[in-house]
Amino acid sequence: MLADVSLLDLRLRRRLLIGYTLGMALYAFVIVALYPEFKNTTSLNNLTKHGSTAAALLGVTGSLTSPSGWLNANLLQNFLPLVMLLITIGYGASCLAGQDEDGTLSLVTTLPIARWGILVQKVVTLAIQAVVLAIVTMICMIVGRGFDLTLPVSHLVGISVGVALLGIDFGLLAIGVGSWTGSRGTALGITGAVAATSFLVSSLAPVVAWLRPAKYASLFYWSIGNGQLAHGLTLASAGVLVLVGAILLFASFWAFSRLDLH
Amino acid sequence: MTAVITADSLTKTFGGQRGVEILQFEVTKGEVFGFLGPNGSGKSTTIRLLLGLYHPTSGKTTVFGKDPMHDAPAILRHTGYLPGELALHPRLTGRQHIDFVADTRGLKDRRLQDALVDRFEVILDHPTRTLSKGNRQKIGIVLAFMHRPELLILDEPTSGLDPLMQNEFQKLVRETVSEERTVFLSSHELDEVQRIVDRVAIIKEGKLIVTDSVDGLRKAAPRTIEFRFPTYVDPQLFAAIAGVRVLDADGGHITLSLHGPVAPVLRAAADLDPIDVIARPADLDELFLTYYRDDSPDDSSSRGPSTKQSHAR
Repeated sequence: MLADVSLLDLRLRRRLLIGYTLGMALYAFVIVALYPEFKNTTSLNNLTKHGSTAAALLGVTGSLTSPSGWLNANLLQNFLPLVMLLITIGYGASCLAGQDEDGTLSLVTTLPIARWGILVQKVVTLAIQAVVLAIVTMICMIVGRGFDLTLPVSHLVGISVGVALLGIDFGLLAIGVGSWTGSRGTALGITGAVAATSFLVSSLAPVVAWLRPAKYASLFYWSIGNGQLAHGLTLASAGVLVLVGAILLFASFWAFSRLDLH
Repeated sequence: MTAVITADSLTKTFGGQRGVEILQFEVTKGEVFGFLGPNGSGKSTTIRLLLGLYHPTSGKTTVFGKDPMHDAPAILRHTGYLPGELALHPRLTGRQHIDFVADTRGLKDRRLQDALVDRFEVILDHPTRTLSKGNRQKIGIVLAFMHRPELLILDEPTSGLDPLMQNEFQKLVRETVSEERTVFLSSHELDEVQRIVDRVAIIKEGKLIVTDSVDGLRKAAPRTIEFRFPTYVDPQLFAAIAGVRVLDADGGHITLSLHGPVAPVLRAAADLDPIDVIARPADLDELFLTYYRDDSPDDSSSRGPSTKQSHAR
């Protein structure tokens, strides 16, 4: 059955996924529920006045106490991507390289499933985890509309798609590096470094002139760093994220098909 | 005889490190083929090449006539594999592992699976992290045999099993080949190999040094002859005879290893008025250990066990 490997991995990670998701949901709900208390706190806006560096680092354009500013500064530009990448990079590094290192991958690789089939099932599992976290957080943000966070649902859906694609792309990068090297540690290290660099580039590009061209190389820019909450996720942004994911999937398959397994 | 497995100049290196070199052998349908060697000799590397887990550096191998690198699913559909170091998910139970493999294989008829569980007294409902090595190994046996595969590739299969279960396992292997199914058994347990295999390949430092039937090896194995003489005898008198190696010399007590005709030895001994003579039959353990020793088995004129490497097909 094509789904058995996915189901096995989801079973193995269910506690982790439930824990992260419930934690994220709780955090997101607290953030939206607190908004009415802060929406009129004008002193907060001094932090981000005149397009300050602080605003750039917080990922805020405009007022910090605006609905989009509040969600960007407290959730979408930092905590949500961080948790998303913890889940997806962690899984990406462990699902092939990690399981091969601890020997459990041989339970799957000695069954009559082609390597591409194994990889596809791992990617499906990766996507399920990313989508579940994004949907739960999105629901909390939509609930926030009842707490004066009056943002278009389409924008909330759009940025949730962007965050999910961001997580999937970095998870695929971890899978690819793990498939190339056979090392969970290397996959975690390289992907974590790329993610951190990508985040910094996207965050600092608005205030550091020479970094500005580099923002286009940052996946954060295409998922959350280009005003997606205020203006919605554009097809171009989604297209870039999907295209990068497709390239990484192809590269992962190429690497996995050449990997010596234990 | 139909060849189920072939290896033709099969070589695998890891960077500059040795894996296996120029392996040449065939395993035919319905036989138990023993793959014998000390730890680190290349047994598991060979198995991973057969399963398509490793890419050969050069040469080729086929299983059921197919290339494991390109047709692994077709091969694995009819193959059961028990790894030497069986790694199970520590939080899952034996039942969850067995169900996963059965579902993935699309196994509808679970009667054989249930029979194996009963036969090996498998503990099904405890997380595998709480099980002893032997009890985890029993789960591995069920996973390997439960779909009634045409080929079983078993790497140190009885590791951790108690003697009763080892015996039960050996019966299972015999039943398997009696159904014209094939078993490739890797081991360093000489006793186990002697009891259940038809042919043996001995691998040492990545190279096959002999492939032969167990009977053939037994015939090729050196006989041990002990003489007792009334006075001191120079052991060089015997060492000079072709096929003789002096194992021990203590005054008038001389122990020889003989590979070849016994007449020259008896003629030499008769002139010395021996008091007693004891001749022991070939000891397979000694033969294997002779191959395992560091010095070359090709040096057989003085060491005896085999005049040539016999890469028999």
